[in-house]
Amino acid sequence: MDFHGKSVLVTGASRGIGATIARSFGENGANVVVNFLQNEGLAGKVVEDIRAQGGEAIAIQADVTKPADVGRMAERIIDAYGSLDIVVNNALSHYSFNPKTRKTAWEIEWDDYRRQIEGSLGGAYHICKAAIPHMKQQNGGRIINIVTNLLDFPVVPYHDYTTAKSALLGYSRNLAAELGAFGITVNCVAPGLTYPTDSSRETQEEVREAIIRLTPMGRLTMPGDIAGGVLFFASDWASFITGQCLRIDGGLVMT
Amino acid sequence: MKKNDITKAPAATGDRTNQPEILPVYAVPRGVEFSSYTDRLIEGGSGRLLLRLPCLTPEIMMDIMHKVAENRKKYLAHLKTADIVDKIDAAVQKWLNPEYELRRQAETWLPAITDYDPEMIRLELKRFMRTFRKKELLRFLDEEFDQAAVLDEFRPRKSGGMSRAYGPESIFHVFSGNVPGLPVWSLVMGLLVKSGNIGKTSSAEPLMAVLFVRSLYEVDADLADTIAILPWKGGTSALEEPVIAAVDAVIAYGADSSVERIREQVPGSKRFLRYGSKVSMAMVGREALTADRFGETVHRLADDVSTYDQQGCLSPHAVVVEDGGAVSARQFAQLLAAELQRCEERRPRAAVSQEEALAIRRVRNQYELAALNGESVTVYSSKAGTEWTVIYHQEQGFAPSPLNRTIHVFGCTALEDAPSYIEPYRELLQTVGIAVGPERLQQLADLLGTAGVNRICAIGKMSRTPAGWHHDGRFNLLDLVRWTDIEWSAEQEAERYDPDAE
Repeated sequence: MDFHGKSVLVTGASRGIGATIARSFGENGANVVVNFLQNEGLAGKVVEDIRAQGGEAIAIQADVTKPADVGRMAERIIDAYGSLDIVVNNALSHYSFNPKTRKTAWEIEWDDYRRQIEGSLGGAYHICKAAIPHMKQQNGGRIINIVTNLLDFPVVPYHDYTTAKSALLGYSRNLAAELGAFGITVNCVAPGLTYPTDSSRETQEEVREAIIRLTPMGRLTMPGDIAGGVLFFASDWASFITGQCLRIDGGLVMT
Repeated sequence: MKKNDITKAPAATGDRTNQPEILPVYAVPRGVEFSSYTDRLIEGGSGRLLLRLPCLTPEIMMDIMHKVAENRKKYLAHLKTADIVDKIDAAVQKWLNPEYELRRQAETWLPAITDYDPEMIRLELKRFMRTFRKKELLRFLDEEFDQAAVLDEFRPRKSGGMSRAYGPESIFHVFSGNVPGLPVWSLVMGLLVKSGNIGKTSSAEPLMAVLFVRSLYEVDADLADTIAILPWKGGTSALEEPVIAAVDAVIAYGADSSVERIREQVPGSKRFLRYGSKVSMAMVGREALTADRFGETVHRLADDVSTYDQQGCLSPHAVVVEDGGAVSARQFAQLLAAELQRCEERRPRAAVSQEEALAIRRVRNQYELAALNGESVTVYSSKAGTEWTVIYHQEQGFAPSPLNRTIHVFGCTALEDAPSYIEPYRELLQTVGIAVGPERLQQLADLLGTAGVNRICAIGKMSRTPAGWHHDGRFNLLDLVRWTDIEWSAEQEAERYDPDAE
């Protein structure tokens, strides 16, 4: 798929899944915006890698939970590339996937939920709010939100994280219902436990092995697997698909 | 032996921000001074590192040997075995903390030095270090000595008289670099028998032994001062001769050619232990191939094949798969191939040398040709390069593999026939990973033991040995010590001279 002339914003793209998605878009010709919160050095490296392959990319710092930051970022994107065609909401509030130290249902505080909801749902909301006017103006656009297969199968109950992602799925479907008329599609990608990433480093070998045993394809999800689904939703092949959620987890969840 | 791009480079100068970290890859007793060093540049995902190697001369070696011997005589020789165990345990406990600085250094730099997957190193290293906790060390001692106190003093024997065991005053260890961490095992043995230790590291993995001695230094500097770890090019006789002349025992690890080269230099009067090349295999019974089990069996075998890319002598060259399960031997080979592809995606194999790649291609060609000639053989292999290879043979048999994730799968009607095919390798046989029901285990083990196999373990555990195993079928500590007996007659005689005797 050729994304030449398309500009794509990937939030939380300095590392892990976001960085891999950004690189994949870069490899396929898109003008990539690598959004980051703190890791300027790593974001710069992603930009460098994309450029080294002949692609085009810029890194922009913005806290997606802050509307002012997001507004400023949207202006810079339009300044730089003249359009905003594809948005991938991947950022979330910092989360460490550690089955041993996670909070149980009777320990978790409302503040924990609030933090995750602000990151996953709030972040996507602010980004979409800023992007939608441009997409309407262009008579089309693609929004892809990263959720999780834990919302179908909470193999480890990360209450706050998974609840926030469930909210993001609900938000996405409503958005799809409303934005279809403008030619904008909204879809979700739901990865399984993705390894290796910084967030999943804490997930013990035993849990990883247990998930592998239940997975038809016999391994954990890798960042590159997710990029495939995201690029598909962003491509012309998916122009009539909206409001969907694609599980990318080697068949662990079948719905 | 892993190959990697180690280039010599002068110590970094100039741009300070880009200056690589410097890590000494030697450990010597306090008071030893070196006048010059060479540096080796290592570049990896974690940045750049200079390995600092001292320039060695026969005079410096003599000085080091002398200091090791003196320090051992003054200190280690008088420590009780229980205290040595406690001190090793204290060092090992540090390594079991994920935040421990030296563990982090090992996890950061060993992948760059060896090219093994970082995640594999992280996992295997902590599993390995766990086998040296106090309870394991005690088990290890008890396994070989009825009472470990014989290493401290004369102890009564059941048959009368008393005995005491003495370890060598000093041991020269020639380490191999195929599996990170193995030198730690050898050093622990040397410490337990109260020997001064000098270790020559391999350029393929010069780091772990040094880091472990640094941990011992943090626990007890006097103990660490009885050890010297140094890197030099194997075969440098100007350095090796004085060392061999000065020690009582030599332990050599590695390829047969290098072990043999060392052996030729060791006079017959000195103790020489060798851990050279070995051949291991796996056997899968039909009971491990039922519809509910075969997936896990394949998964575990693939783990044995991919851990350290079969570079340890414990890894399987071939697997014998019995008829009568839910999957045939051919299907087992296909499943194993798919699983090895997944292993490659998760934990890619280390880079191989041209010769190693060539060896794999040669074996692939040989069997592809055989298949064309009508033999019932099929080669399943990675598409990109030599990452993994599964060679399926319908006929029973055994064949060694060029390793680096290459394995033969042989079909068979009954596992009980398999030992006859491995007889020709009697001298080299070591581990058999086995998956059979309890009623067959004893009988099969006896057939394998008779054929020369010295270790039988579960599939999936082939590369991990427990404390107290008989390495290559022999004792570990007992092979190092010599005994002094006070016979019953001397004891009785002494009683006669007791002035207070009746």
